[in-house]
This record gives sequence, structure tokens and C-alpha cells, in this order.
Amino acid sequence: MLKVENLNKTFHTRAGDIHAVQNVTFSADNGEMVAIVGASGSGKSTLLALLGLLDAPDQGSIDLDGVELANLDAGGRTKYRSHQVGFVFQQFNLIPNLSARENVLLPLEYARWPKADRVRRADEMLALVGLTGEKSERRPTRLSGGEQQRVAIARAFAAKPQLILADEPTGSLDKSTGQKIVEILRSAASTEGATVLVVTHDEKIAQQADRRLEIDDGVLSEVA
Amino acid sequence: MRSIGVVVILAVAIALSISMLIARDAVNTKINSVRASTGTTITVTPKGFFGFSGGGTPLTTTEVNGLLNLKNVTAVQESLSEELSSNDTSLTSPTPAGSLGQRFGGSNPGGSSASAPTFTIAIRLIGTNSPGNALVGGANGGGTEKLTSGASFSPTSDSDVALVGQTLATKNKLKVGSTFTAFGKTITVVGIYNSGSTFANSDVLMPLATVQTLASASGQVTNATVVVNNISNVSSVTKAVTAALGSKADVTSTEATVASELAPLNSIKTISTYTLFGAIIGAAIILLLSMLMIVRERRREVGVLKALGAPNRSIIGQFIAESTTFTVLGSVVGFIVGILLSSPITSALVSATSNSSSATPAFTGGGFVRAGGGGFRGGGSGFTPPPGGQFARTGDFHFGGVSNTLTTLHTSVGSSTLIFAFVIALVIAALGSSVAVATIVRIRPAEVLRSE
Repeated sequence: MLKVENLNKTFHTRAGDIHAVQNVTFSADNGEMVAIVGASGSGKSTLLALLGLLDAPDQGSIDLDGVELANLDAGGRTKYRSHQVGFVFQQFNLIPNLSARENVLLPLEYARWPKADRVRRADEMLALVGLTGEKSERRPTRLSGGEQQRVAIARAFAAKPQLILADEPTGSLDKSTGQKIVEILRSAASTEGATVLVVTHDEKIAQQADRRLEIDDGVLSEVA
Repeated sequence: MRSIGVVVILAVAIALSISMLIARDAVNTKINSVRASTGTTITVTPKGFFGFSGGGTPLTTTEVNGLLNLKNVTAVQESLSEELSSNDTSLTSPTPAGSLGQRFGGSNPGGSSASAPTFTIAIRLIGTNSPGNALVGGANGGGTEKLTSGASFSPTSDSDVALVGQTLATKNKLKVGSTFTAFGKTITVVGIYNSGSTFANSDVLMPLATVQTLASASGQVTNATVVVNNISNVSSVTKAVTAALGSKADVTSTEATVASELAPLNSIKTISTYTLFGAIIGAAIILLLSMLMIVRERRREVGVLKALGAPNRSIIGQFIAESTTFTVLGSVVGFIVGILLSSPITSALVSATSNSSSATPAFTGGGFVRAGGGGFRGGGSGFTPPPGGQFARTGDFHFGGVSNTLTTLHTSVGSSTLIFAFVIALVIAALGSSVAVATIVRIRPAEVLRSE
């Protein structure tokens, strides 16, 4: 379970302080899919960076299954990220010179999975997102946008993280493909028992989530 | 394609550095070989003295022995030269006067020998405290005398004994135990030597003290050879000897002559050294900039890998592997090309440097002496110039032929070259990787992904 309390992040710029995240408090259960919607510059990406341990908050608490993450140092954040956090990006961000399977193997290597289990787990995740056989050997450039995002989802879930952070996962896809990707995300969350936070500005995508949160000027609120 | 370009540029730079390294080694070997061949001796003669043609006032044993106190001097060999004319000895000179002898030593010097009376070459008598080395170099002009029969005399002897040259012994039918007269004294032959020179094989060697007594030249010395402990000290000892004897003596060492001969080689060495380091630095900069470009282009990839939980060391290791691959490929190609090019590049450098210093005479490393010739008092016939007026490179070389071998350099690849090449590759890879490492460590995934 993810519990976030009074999370704050301020950027100090020449133009003045920007309070990107202000007193954010919410929680999400394992297997739950939560949508976070907001306009551009509302603080969505900063919130995701804090929850993904890519950045450290100025203040507040991030509790994941009873472990406090907000005060971890850089090394601790890297270690925890490799084991407990998965990312899905709008631009997929697959490594171009690696095959689909090799991309999925990466987080397993960083999470120090036993070598004997890595390929089996990678193939299992690729099968979960509907990529099997010859396609798993292809490099990203030889896959469609939807297929690349499926690989990205497989990669995000591969190391069995507790938290999946998806930043506009359908932003680069057509509506039909985007719909399928959300279904896959939802299904994977349920199957793997992970909490999925989806940042999106697409209302239809947001409506498919179990819950919907809205962020505006760094302030998060629950939408009924 | 870009990777191939980086490897090719690296290979060119490494090939150039390997070629320069090999050229430098070849030149260095030649310089050391030439310097080693010049020996570690300094010749001291009275000012203006040159055999029996020059003048000057003899040095004294006291003055010459004082040179032993100079730093880095290990020995001082002294000699006193006298002439034995037919009136002074029972010996007959074996050296035919020839046309040169008639011209230089006859009663009609500088003119035609046709009308001159018969001229006989005088026999040279050398008193020495260093039997075995009395004829080497300097004014005595010969090789090391090797005994073919009998035994030598003691360096400190004052007995009426002599070593005679093979040619003189044959002419006068002398054997060990034979006697002859010199300055009215009966001298016993204790040994016969061969020095490799027709002129020097016509000499008589006797103890220094004996000759000083016979020639009424007590305490006088006409030639001294100062032996220095190390070739690198010859220059400083030459200066010290000159300072010690002042205007009384001419002090010469072959090292000074060789130094001017070696100047072109030293230029090549300098050029190759600068080019070597320039090529290494160039290769490192090429790799460094290439890696910087590669890391910047793949900044997003680095950010993604960090987001996936990759530790810095893992990402750094990946880029170092790429950098090392470039370097290894470039080194292998560059090493092979460098070895193939080293010989022609060395030749081109030597050729260019030789041409630029063509004002230097070809045989300044030392004169060459015709068989039987011994300066103006020797005999023999003149050389007949070959067509075109050039001297043929034949005859007995006493010392010389330095320049004519300087352009003959042999390039080779030794273990030191291999080790150096390996070190070069390591340095280049390390420098090239360092910038990648520094850049990777600074990349913050949140910033990279936020810019999406």
C-alpha cells in the first residue's frame, strides 16, 4: 500500500520559488489503479518524480508497504527504485540497440534477479502484454508504437515492483491502441498486485481508473 | 558509421605515434651505437704538435700526471715520440718513400720528386707507459697493438727493451731476443706486434722512461690519452683538461666531432618525440570529444537506465566498454599500420634531415688514411680519383665513416614498443572514458524525463 503525507517540493529559480508540489496527501492500495489528471505545469511530473524516487522531496512522507522512502539517500533511492518502482513513459523510452526481450531483462538485472529466472520472467511479461515469438527478438524500431508501449509495460512490471508510475502512457498512441494499453495496464496491476498511478489528461482514460485525483498548482484533490 | 569513423581516426593517430616511437627508438639506438664506438678517451698533445710535422713545446710528466686528479678520469696514458733516422739506429725503415714521401719529406717538398735525392722514411720510436694502447688514435694513429710473439714490457720499466712492429721486424729479420741499436744503445726485442696499420707496424715501442733517457728528454711527453669513466663525462672532462693545461696543450676528443655528426639524428629524435606525444594527445582528445558527443546524444537513455534502477557504475561500465572497444580496435589497426609505415617514415625523416644539413661534409667524422700513409712523414702513393672526381670509399679507415652509416637506420619492434603501445591505449581509453564518466554521473533522470 502507498501512503503519501504532506509531500512538498519547491524549485528555487531566478524568477522566484515554484511550489511544484504542496502538501500532497493520498493513499492507494495494492492492485489499485489511480488516475492523476491535471493541466500542463500543474505539478504532475514532479509528483511522479518524487513518488518514483527520481527526486527527493523537501518535506513529507512516502510510505510503501511500511517502508519510509522520502529520507533515502541517492544510493538508497536507486536500490529501492530497481526493486519496487516501475516506469511507463509517454515516449516509451526503450533502449534502441536492445531487443524487446533484452529491454525487459534490464530491470531484472538491476534488481539482481537470479540469472536462471530472468529470461523466463521476461517472456512471461511479454506474453502478458501480448508479445510472443519473433516479436520479442525485434528491436524497438521494428515495432509499432503500441507494441513498443507494451514492451515498456512488460519492462515496468518485470521485477515485480509494488508501484508502477505511468506518465501519459497513451499520449503517443491512437485512441484504439491507447485503450488497449490502459486495459493491459489495469490487467497487469491486478495480476501482479501492484499499485498503478497513471498521469493523464485524457478523461476517458481517467474514467477507467479505480480512482481519480486532480492536481492543480501542486495541490492534489480527490475527484468523486 | 560514426563508430567506424572514430576507430579510423584513432587508428591514424595511434599509427602515427607508433611510427614515431619506432623511428625514435631506431635513432636512439644509432646514436648510442655511434657514441659508444667513439670511446671514452681524450687526446692531449703539446700546442701545435702534429706528429713530426707540427711544432710546440713538450708537456711534462708532472703536468700530465696531474690530470689523474680530475674527476671522472680513470687513467692517463703517456707517450714520447722520437724519430730514428738511419744515423741513429741500425734498423732499416720498411716504409717505401713513394711519391708522397718524396714530396712531403724529401729535399724538394712541394715540388716534383723527379729531381730529388733518394729519401728514406725515418722510423718512429714511441716511449709509452701503456704498452698495448700506445698506438690507438690521437697523434700515434694506429689500432691496438696485438702481440704476435714474445711479451710486453712493464709500464714503469726503464730497461733497454722494445716491441717492434711486424713490418719492421720482417724488413730487419728481427725475432724475439734479437738486438738493434738506437742512440748508441743496444736494445733487445722482447715482442713483435701487429696493429693493423702498415705505418704503425713500422714503429718501435719502448718504455717511456727509457726513451726519455735515450733522447735526453727527461720528464717530457708528446702525447697523452686521458681515459674517462663514462661516455657522458667525456665532454666535461675535456673542458677540465683544457682548463688544467691552459694554452700549453691541444685537447681533442672524438665526442665533439661525433656530436656535430649526430646533430641531424638528434633533430629526428626531437621531431619524433614531439610528434609521438602530439599524436597521443590528439588521439585522446578525439576519443574524449567522441565520447562526450555520444554521452550527450544518449543522455535520455542514461536517464531512463537510472530510472530503471541502474547504478552509476553499471552505466559507466557500459560506456567505458564502448570507449575501450574503440581504443582496442583503433590500437590494433594503428599498431599494424604504424609498424608497416615506420620504416618509410624513418627513411623520409632521415632523408629530409640529411638534405637540410647537406652543407656538412660527408666524412667529417675522421680522416681516412691510405695504406702506408702516416701524415706527411709517411710514404705511399696518392689516390687516383675515380671518374667524376669523387673519392672512392675504400682504403684503411682509422677512424671515420661515421656519417656514411648514420643514414642507415634499422627499425624494429621490441617488447618496450609493445608495452608502450599498450600504455598508450590505456591512457587514451582512460582519458576518453573520464569525460563520459563525469557526464554520466551528473545526469539527473528527473530532469531528463521531465523535458519529455
